[in-house]
Amino acid sequence: MMNKSVVVIGGGSAGLCSAIEVARAGGQVLVIDENHKAGGQLFKQIHKFFGSKEHRAGIRGIHIGEMLLKEAKDLGIEIWLNTEAVGINANKEIWVVQNKKKSFMIHAERIIIATGAQENPINFPGWTLPGVMGAGAAQTMMNIHRVKPGNKVLMVGSGNVGVIVSYQLMQAGIKVAGIVDVTQKPGGYEVHMAKLRRAGVPFYPRHTIKRALGSHCVEGAEIVEVDKDLNPIEGSEKILDVDTICLATGFTPLGELAWMAGCAFEFNPSLGGHIPVHDEHMETSIKGIFVAGDITGIEEASIAMEEGRMAGIAVAKSLGLYEKEEYMERIVCVKNRLSQLRHNINEGKNQQSITLPSKDRLLKGGVAIIECPQEIPCNPCEASCPKHAITIGERISNTPKIDYEKCIGCGLCIPACPGQAISLRNYAFSEEEVALSIPYEFLPLPKTGETVTAVDRKGQEVCSAKVVRVAESPKYEGTAVVTISYPRKFFYQVASIKK
Amino acid sequence: MEDIIICRCEEITQREIEAAIEDGARTFNEVKRFTRCGMGLCQGRTCRVRIEKLIARKTKKPPRQGNYRQPVRPVNLGIEGDILNE
Amino acid sequence: MNRIKEHPILGKTEDKKEVTIWVDGKALKAYEGEMIAATLLANGIKVFRYTKKRKEPRGIFCAIGRCTDCVMVVDGIPNVRTCITPVREGMKIETQKGLGSWERSENDE
Repeated sequence: MMNKSVVVIGGGSAGLCSAIEVARAGGQVLVIDENHKAGGQLFKQIHKFFGSKEHRAGIRGIHIGEMLLKEAKDLGIEIWLNTEAVGINANKEIWVVQNKKKSFMIHAERIIIATGAQENPINFPGWTLPGVMGAGAAQTMMNIHRVKPGNKVLMVGSGNVGVIVSYQLMQAGIKVAGIVDVTQKPGGYEVHMAKLRRAGVPFYPRHTIKRALGSHCVEGAEIVEVDKDLNPIEGSEKILDVDTICLATGFTPLGELAWMAGCAFEFNPSLGGHIPVHDEHMETSIKGIFVAGDITGIEEASIAMEEGRMAGIAVAKSLGLYEKEEYMERIVCVKNRLSQLRHNINEGKNQQSITLPSKDRLLKGGVAIIECPQEIPCNPCEASCPKHAITIGERISNTPKIDYEKCIGCGLCIPACPGQAISLRNYAFSEEEVALSIPYEFLPLPKTGETVTAVDRKGQEVCSAKVVRVAESPKYEGTAVVTISYPRKFFYQVASIKK
Repeated sequence: MEDIIICRCEEITQREIEAAIEDGARTFNEVKRFTRCGMGLCQGRTCRVRIEKLIARKTKKPPRQGNYRQPVRPVNLGIEGDILNE
Repeated sequence: MNRIKEHPILGKTEDKKEVTIWVDGKALKAYEGEMIAATLLANGIKVFRYTKKRKEPRGIFCAIGRCTDCVMVVDGIPNVRTCITPVREGMKIETQKGLGSWERSENDE
């Protein structure tokens, strides 16, 4: 039997981060992953992550994936791809199948199980028709395989996955006919929903999918309103013209290996179901077996990465690789970051109103306006301002505040906001016109001089506008900044342009 | 209410599963033996969670986590390795 | 066309070597190394198999090799998960009916 010091099962966000921590402390670590590329879900995430600088906020998931793989390579971490962990026991022996051809056992001193989660579908008549797929499946097809999963989509579920994937579908040139959820308000961050609203995507609150229509594949979707007990309200059915139905209806932690190893489990519906019990350093009830990432409960990617770090540091400590002081320093750092990320996600989301600039300030020229009313853990805007006009503070889930007098209207904050919640408004653009600069992440990019249709926050047409400038820069990390001019009377009303 | 397929691989419907529970099946593995749910190609990966919830609902108990058996991924017979060459 | 050749974040797709695969006797253009399911979807094919009992159409559901809904008969071997199997020049793919049947090709022992 092969013997290894540390084996990490799963080379995704949590797995890679845990391996990196073990290697940084001087440990030998092997990562095994069943896919032909490591990185887990990261390479499907083309959007900019939230969080703080330490959490790599403002960087797209795909680039975080590349950074982690590079870090792993530089640290000499062994990664076996196309390698499946098909079994495990309490003696920390793992049954491994490589390239579907070779089968062998590995004994490890320490194991970190970072196998993530699987999509949880809901069932409804017609859900087996081709065209009904998980939201993650749609992401895989468009972002990894570069193929459209369909042309017109109904998204079922408005949590962060539902709203993020809806936007990504639009970026891939696919129409999103609507998003349904049984909740009254969208479950995901308000800024994600705001982007979709501006783009004219309808949200149907208190609606669910009644059936998928079609004989051969999806040809339409029948949605229906539900009452507070989630019973369908007769007569409220609507038919949507779609050829694809994406299900963003939750995840289930993949705890099979942890269960087989004998780890104790608990049932926690808010975290996705049955999850392995672990202490604050991610060790399970089986000594030497740790868990990290979505297997411990469904949370954000940044949390998965921090949990991975926690597990990695704890494993390194248990192997005697850390002096107590350094260990305590690292652990406290990770604990703080985790609590920052977890702050407020589970509590009610506070909606705070925005203070607008004074008339005097508006007359001076362009000024940034941040429409971010929710307390979510995110602060890249603060660091982006060269004049320190934006304040969030130590508690990264504070809503941002702008000192309009300090703001010089440079617009650097516009592409920095992962939620696309910042725009620059210039009341004094010309005698009759005002200007608006917004982040833009669609193709085709508008052209300077082009006439476009300006829309409001609900995606409703307001007026014609002229494209004044289209700015692209490597500093903007893939987000273009489009400036339009339009009649003054629509100053605050206009929020975006029609795609 | 329309009968919906729950186990996609074996094409078993909700009514069939509920009938099995009424007949005494109390865990996923028992429902599997009554109905063939979870015996198809995906080995219950897609339907297990839903069936555990259905059992929980009908028995008014919290969902029980059932047995998992190795291998948790499909393994071709005839692959070379310690296990099969013993 | 269902291929996303240009993407605002991912850029242009790389030029890859073209291969020909056969789907139910028809030649299809594919790119070397791409998953069978991606090639089929790119060519507007959504139905990959028909179920055993109800003879119902199935296609992509999870796209990561877990749900086994996308299985087809590939080079005579049934139940091949097309979402995680890359194409090869000359590959023969057939819509699977039920559980399929095993056909040994001449190269197999």
